[in-house]
Amino acid sequence: MTSASFIWNVCKSSFTFGLIGLTVSDRFASVVPVRGLSMSPTFNPPNNSSSFRLFTDDHVLVEKRCLTDYKFSHGDVVVFCSPRNYKERQIKRITGMPGDWISVPFSYDAVKIPEGHCWVEGDNPADSLDSRSFGPIPLGLIRGRVTHILWPPQRVQKIDKKLPRSGLSF
Amino acid sequence: MGIQNTVMKMFNKSIAFGLVGITVTDRYAGVCPIRGSSMAPTFNPSLESFADDYVFLEKFCLDRYKFSHGDVVIFSNPTNYKERCVKRIVAMEGDYISNVNGATRVPEGHCWVEGDNSALSSDSRTYGPIPLGLIRGRVTHVIWPPQRMKKVDRRIAQDRLAF
Repeated sequence: MTSASFIWNVCKSSFTFGLIGLTVSDRFASVVPVRGLSMSPTFNPPNNSSSFRLFTDDHVLVEKRCLTDYKFSHGDVVVFCSPRNYKERQIKRITGMPGDWISVPFSYDAVKIPEGHCWVEGDNPADSLDSRSFGPIPLGLIRGRVTHILWPPQRVQKIDKKLPRSGLSF
Repeated sequence: MGIQNTVMKMFNKSIAFGLVGITVTDRYAGVCPIRGSSMAPTFNPSLESFADDYVFLEKFCLDRYKFSHGDVVIFSNPTNYKERCVKRIVAMEGDYISNVNGATRVPEGHCWVEGDNSALSSDSRTYGPIPLGLIRGRVTHVIWPPQRMKKVDRRIAQDRLAF
């Protein structure tokens, strides 16, 4: 009898911990790996051994409290659903907020960011598919804000709100 | 000691139920009230009724389901991400919608939503097609008031068919 109740207790505890883990990761924070080079050198900086890419992807802390009270601003690195495929997530930096004007590259036009939208760009403009391709994205697509790099250990750091060097928004 | 034990047990149980409730509402299904009459007569058919319709919305659709024409969905308002709107999907990616300026093509990953009450609805005719990533759930049933309990059909008005 005692082994059955022991197993039952283990099941209950693991179920509770599983639920707590799910709730925390949905509503407070979670850890995700960063794929790709669109945010170099902030994430996944170029290094010599590109064959170890899978093991040395940066893992970052994504906080979700920002979805309720926080006001997003320039320089925040955010995780959002891709506007072209809602099952994929992308990580980019916000470089324009509603009301800003963004100059379109190689043309004399300027785009005004509509209300409720933002302009996102990768820190590595050469290798990044971002708002320069798919236009401004609604803020409702954002799923979290990146605050820290947690892995690999030598790259543990806080992410700053770095503004782009070439001032594209005015 | 007996009373303290009982109180602790009730406290633990209510925390557990609270957690289960939060997880289920976030990930699987929920109930919410409908405000406004942009979806009349499907929801809130008359202005004089005191009670808003409450609907059952399911979130399983966010994982595997392929959204299609006629689904009533709840999504974040593209002009104000803290608000939610409920409208019907009239066209999916690749369809063409007839507009005052001719025909608009709905881009990849987006959908065109309209309210059933065209006169009183601010929808894709105002803010354009919305990315599917904004969708937060799919409405399946009206569950309150009791005389209006029914399943919500996937039906579109004849004059708003996409081509």
